Amino acid sequence: MSEELDIALAILDHQLIDCEGRRCGNVDDLAIEGGAGEEAQVVAILSGPGVWRNRAGVLGRFAAWVGRGGRVRVPWEEVAEVASHVRLNKRAADYGLGSGDDRLRPWIERIPGANR
Amino acid sequence: MKIFQVALGILAAIGGFVDIGDLVFNMAAGATFGYQLLWVIVIGVVGIIVYSEMCGRVAAVSEKAVFDAVRERVGFGGGLVTLVAAQVVNLMTLAAEVGGLAICMRLLSGLPYRWLILVAIVALGVVVWVVSFDWIERIFGYGGLCLLVFAVAAVKLHPDWGAVAHGFVPHLETEDTLLYAYFAVGLLGAAMTPYEVYFYSSGGVEEGWTPKDLGLNKANAIIGYGLGGFLSFALMIVGGTLFLAQGIEPETLGTIALGAQVPLGQIGLLLALIGILFAVGGASIDTLFAGAYNLAQYLGWEWGRYRTPAGAPRFTLTWMILLVLALGVVMSGVDPVQLTEYAVIFSVVALPLTYLPILLVANDRSYMGRYVNGRVANVLGIAYFVLILVISLTAIPLMILTNVGQG
Repeated sequence: MSEELDIALAILDHQLIDCEGRRCGNVDDLAIEGGAGEEAQVVAILSGPGVWRNRAGVLGRFAAWVGRGGRVRVPWEEVAEVASHVRLNKRAADYGLGSGDDRLRPWIERIPGANR
Repeated sequence: MKIFQVALGILAAIGGFVDIGDLVFNMAAGATFGYQLLWVIVIGVVGIIVYSEMCGRVAAVSEKAVFDAVRERVGFGGGLVTLVAAQVVNLMTLAAEVGGLAICMRLLSGLPYRWLILVAIVALGVVVWVVSFDWIERIFGYGGLCLLVFAVAAVKLHPDWGAVAHGFVPHLETEDTLLYAYFAVGLLGAAMTPYEVYFYSSGGVEEGWTPKDLGLNKANAIIGYGLGGFLSFALMIVGGTLFLAQGIEPETLGTIALGAQVPLGQIGLLLALIGILFAVGGASIDTLFAGAYNLAQYLGWEWGRYRTPAGAPRFTLTWMILLVLALGVVMSGVDPVQLTEYAVIFSVVALPLTYLPILLVANDRSYMGRYVNGRVANVLGIAYFVLILVISLTAIPLMILTNVGQG
């Protein structure tokens, strides 16, 4: 991925999809590198409640506290495609994404008919 | 076969259009102002058609549901404010629908209201867990068609059709301008309830709509909501013919059902109650899912009513929690009809936050390509956005000034 994009509009806050089509979080923030005079470059996607505290003042800090603050860093090389969603190369679990759903699943599965 | 399916979908949409907000506001507006406000229903129905079509098109072309668009366009902070507003209104609406469901079951069975609230909640949970969504749509959509009894009732009551026709022309013939405005805002809010577009757009994404389905989307929106609006006319005409003359304020769902009983007898009452039961039950399920969709889309979780419950665990947990919260609200003893009025008025306040991102995305060529809003969609979309903005600013002052429509 090297083409130029309006990153604020085309990537930030978009849906992350893993290689199996699973929804696994949003692009909550971007890690950008490049010193003064250098070209700025996106080096990673940041996702998870830990990122929210920098996004919306008090409201964001509260949301981060409710979500108990975890965050995941996905290197930019792992991005397969930026279309209406941001598609990743590997499975969500390989990055530690979607862990909330994975932790909750066994509990839901205890109810009969959860996998019908 | 395809035509047949479309027809079935439309039938379900007619039954699914009317919810407790429409029942309460249309009947009460008729009882208070006769046929004078019929034209407002037309404006409301065209509004929901315009925005549903837009949401459906965005879903078909860009695979984004409403809260995906909200998050992307207004960002994390603005999106969070929108989410909180949407969820509060949604919970109020859900609680009102569940309360209505319980009242309806009480009128049909004579059992105590509080027990029936519990029965209603458990029944909704079981239906959502066990029954496939295609069947949920059919059962509640077709059951809701019993509401057509109000159309028959409207004719049987022999309204002055000249006065009815005059009602479709915007006019004002009352001293009480504030109350008139309050009802106009309420009718618009009831027709354009936000959960309908959350639910509709998410359904489009789930069913994997593509640009090929845009014709279907347009037909669904125009015919489904259009004919649903027809039921709203019927309710208002019944209210205006029966209740205005006798000075009755339909303050309970039972009074609303009376609108069919007076001209048609026991069978009218029974059909009205069954229609209300299914229409309000279906709306409860739509609202329940709308709440779960919004949160999941805003946070990027897996979601979907066509998935197994374990296939989208946090989405499943969210609707379960919403059901329990709604139980708490209804059990607190709040009157469902009053709660409905509050829910509709507050939903008007939250409407611009929902519709602006949709309007922006539908105009974005980078997502929508050649399916961006055309001139008609934009003129209507912007006109309605301005209208929504105005009514959202006036809704709460009007509610206070008219003492929630009590005059």
